[in-house]
Amino acid sequence: MNAAENKKAAHESAEQEMKQYVTFVIGNEYYGVEVLKVQEIIGMTQIVHVPNSADFMKGVINLRGTVVPVVDMRTRFRMPEREYDMFTVIIIVEVKNRMIGMIVDSVSDVVDMAESSIQETPHFAAKIETDYIRGMGQVDDKLVIILDIDKILSASDLEKMGQDAEESK
Amino acid sequence: MSENSIRDVFLEEAKEILRHLEADLIQLEENPDDEVVHRIFRYVHTIKGSSGIAGFDEVYEFTHRLENLLDAVRNKKVPVEKALVDLLLESMDWVAEAIYEHANAERKKFLDEKVASFGSFSAKEGEAVLARTENVQAEKPANYFLVRASFKPTIFENGIDPLLILEDLVSLGSVEHRRVHFDKLPALRDMDPEKCYLEWTILLKTFHPRQKLDEAFLFVKDDNDISIEDVTNDFTDSERRAGGIQERKVGEILVRRGVITEEELDTVLSIQRETNKKIGDIIVEKGFADEKAVQQALGDQNRIKSRIQATTVRVETKKLDTLLNLLGEIVISQSSIARMAEELEEEQGYRLKNALYGMDRITREFQEQIMAIRMIPIGPTFEQFRRFVRDVADDVHKEIRLDIRGSETELDKTVIEQISDPLKHMIRNAIDHGIETPQERQKAGKKPVGTITLNAYHQEGNVFIEIIDDGRGLDRAAIRRKAVERGLIKGDEEINDRQLQEFLFMPGFSTAEQVGELSGRGVGMDVVRTNIEALRGTVELFSEPGKGTTIRIKLPLTLAIIEGMLVRVGKNVYIIPLLSIVESLQPVRDSIKTVEGKGEVLLVRDEYVPLVRLYQHFGIDSDFTNPWEALVVVVESGTSRIGIMVDDLVGQQQIVIKSLDNFITKSRALSGAAIMGDGTVALIIDVHGMVGEIAT
Repeated sequence: MNAAENKKAAHESAEQEMKQYVTFVIGNEYYGVEVLKVQEIIGMTQIVHVPNSADFMKGVINLRGTVVPVVDMRTRFRMPEREYDMFTVIIIVEVKNRMIGMIVDSVSDVVDMAESSIQETPHFAAKIETDYIRGMGQVDDKLVIILDIDKILSASDLEKMGQDAEESK
Repeated sequence: MSENSIRDVFLEEAKEILRHLEADLIQLEENPDDEVVHRIFRYVHTIKGSSGIAGFDEVYEFTHRLENLLDAVRNKKVPVEKALVDLLLESMDWVAEAIYEHANAERKKFLDEKVASFGSFSAKEGEAVLARTENVQAEKPANYFLVRASFKPTIFENGIDPLLILEDLVSLGSVEHRRVHFDKLPALRDMDPEKCYLEWTILLKTFHPRQKLDEAFLFVKDDNDISIEDVTNDFTDSERRAGGIQERKVGEILVRRGVITEEELDTVLSIQRETNKKIGDIIVEKGFADEKAVQQALGDQNRIKSRIQATTVRVETKKLDTLLNLLGEIVISQSSIARMAEELEEEQGYRLKNALYGMDRITREFQEQIMAIRMIPIGPTFEQFRRFVRDVADDVHKEIRLDIRGSETELDKTVIEQISDPLKHMIRNAIDHGIETPQERQKAGKKPVGTITLNAYHQEGNVFIEIIDDGRGLDRAAIRRKAVERGLIKGDEEINDRQLQEFLFMPGFSTAEQVGELSGRGVGMDVVRTNIEALRGTVELFSEPGKGTTIRIKLPLTLAIIEGMLVRVGKNVYIIPLLSIVESLQPVRDSIKTVEGKGEVLLVRDEYVPLVRLYQHFGIDSDFTNPWEALVVVVESGTSRIGIMVDDLVGQQQIVIKSLDNFITKSRALSGAAIMGDGTVALIIDVHGMVGEIAT
């Protein structure tokens, strides 16, 4: 697909609603969240561990005077842990009026996607509960999993996850 | 102003008025003096007026009738008695309901008829309702005099200086307005420096009688044109009738104050008829008075209209919270600069530290001022219980007087909002279980009327609130029985004061033989304690058989900023609120014992306290694992003490509390977080939560 074709495609779908997504990498997959949900992206910083919290709750950070909890998305998706490196970032998102940080392997790009080009989630017994996936989108030749951030990082859900983890111990 | 915002203002205003009204109605019953009747009348009148504007037609109509009844009360056509107060309270409830929920038409009809029947009672007395006149006494009888002085031109020849008279006059009171008449002043070339040409008019506000004024003019009044007119009524009248009076025209006000003459006003009015300009503008244009005087008159007019106090501003609490948060940020930045100052070279560091010292003083002062804004007196909260006590006491056929003390004691607004429910609970308990029936009281040789006292005072950076009743006191035997029954103590054990309190605050612990509508269900005191502890306060209870019970609540002055002790465990820093700390010590090896099933205890001043190894409790690394190498901070929550084992004490610091969302940790031992000077986050230990956690 060359640039001219791209433009044409964009023009054809101009009537459709275009949305911007921040894409990032966890493991081998690309994920996306709506750009409007993202407050900012910061580099790895000092995280203060909070005792007696769920394993994916890495702790809290100081974001210019606000205490923000951060969640390790790898642990959240039950993927094996991995050392944080220079690419590791914290994406600060706003979920129901509170700020939460997501630790991801690396941040990729901001892309435009038409609402219609996002497909329903196929049922796959993968590591991720499909409830949290809004759909799958295609950017160039990459498959992007669009996350429903309100569900995956909602307070009630995080609380429940914490309890489940506790019980299974 | 849009219609909605008018409505909002009204809703807000009505809330306050209804609260005052309630308190005044109760007072009316206890102590029916004219002043209270007048206040009640004014409140009802205000509601009537505002509800009309805000579009609550039914309320308007109803309060109008109520007002007529109150007018009759004011003129002593209707006696103040219990039935009347009952009706007024009921009416007030209806108004509140109609404003905040929905207007219940049936109830209104019922109340309408009742109000009417009271009204007709006054009609039967045979007299029409007359305009009220004398009932109010002006609080401060200031007199207003309009003094006009026109001296004869030759007055200097008698050796009299009119200026001295003027000064005399001014020393008697304050000059509200003055005007100098230049009419007789000749052109400069015609002027004789030995003649007096000026005349003046002064409006004097004074607390002296007229006689004093006459004295000032003693030597001149015979052969000069002096007039002193008492115009007091024109001023106090408007203030007296402030509840609802017709407004005065600006022109009239100006004439009454001697700013312009009546002739001038006529001229102005005729111009106004032709040009349709504003009267104030014409007066200024014509040069009869300066703009300031007109503005003043306009201001008076507005004051009469609305009586809004111009010295206060209503501010959303949220804005204050934001201010406080910002200040918190300043405090944080300040401590990070202080850290940098430590790292600087001697000379520079010294200078920077000095400057910081000054800044620190300012921020502390700043903080106190913001806190002061957030502080409101507890009086209104106490007052609202007057009605409650009256109604509940009626229901249970007891006679109870509510004594309120320390109304002026100020508390953080948030605390006040949250203290109301627990207080209600405890007062209800006092009425139900504390105070005896009049018969019982008489048998016990007490006055038949029981007293519940609400008291508030400040002490050592805390606020204390007490609920004191002079009832029968706690029934220790019954509490013991119940405790044995529930297996809390053995049958032959006695209970001490501390246990007694613990039991009373336990969920589901009630000794009431019968479960009443109001209390005795055993939910109550534990909820009260939870609520108060959520405000970082404590509850204590003292009781003497036959003499009564005192419940004392201790609350911190403020919620947002606390004095904290920083402690270190391994690489982690935690904060323990300084107010909870009893002492810190390095224990000796022998003072630590292990109790089967209860864990470790530490002997502190002849008392065993549970020992919490913080590194173990939080699952973190620490420098020491032996308590005799580490330090132990003894903390207190309510009546329980525990020792918290830490590696080191870092220091004491003012911290700004940031809340921690409860999904972050299940631990009740953490209540929040704070940001330290170096930008790191430190978690705040919740002593009460920790005590609870180790108990289970």
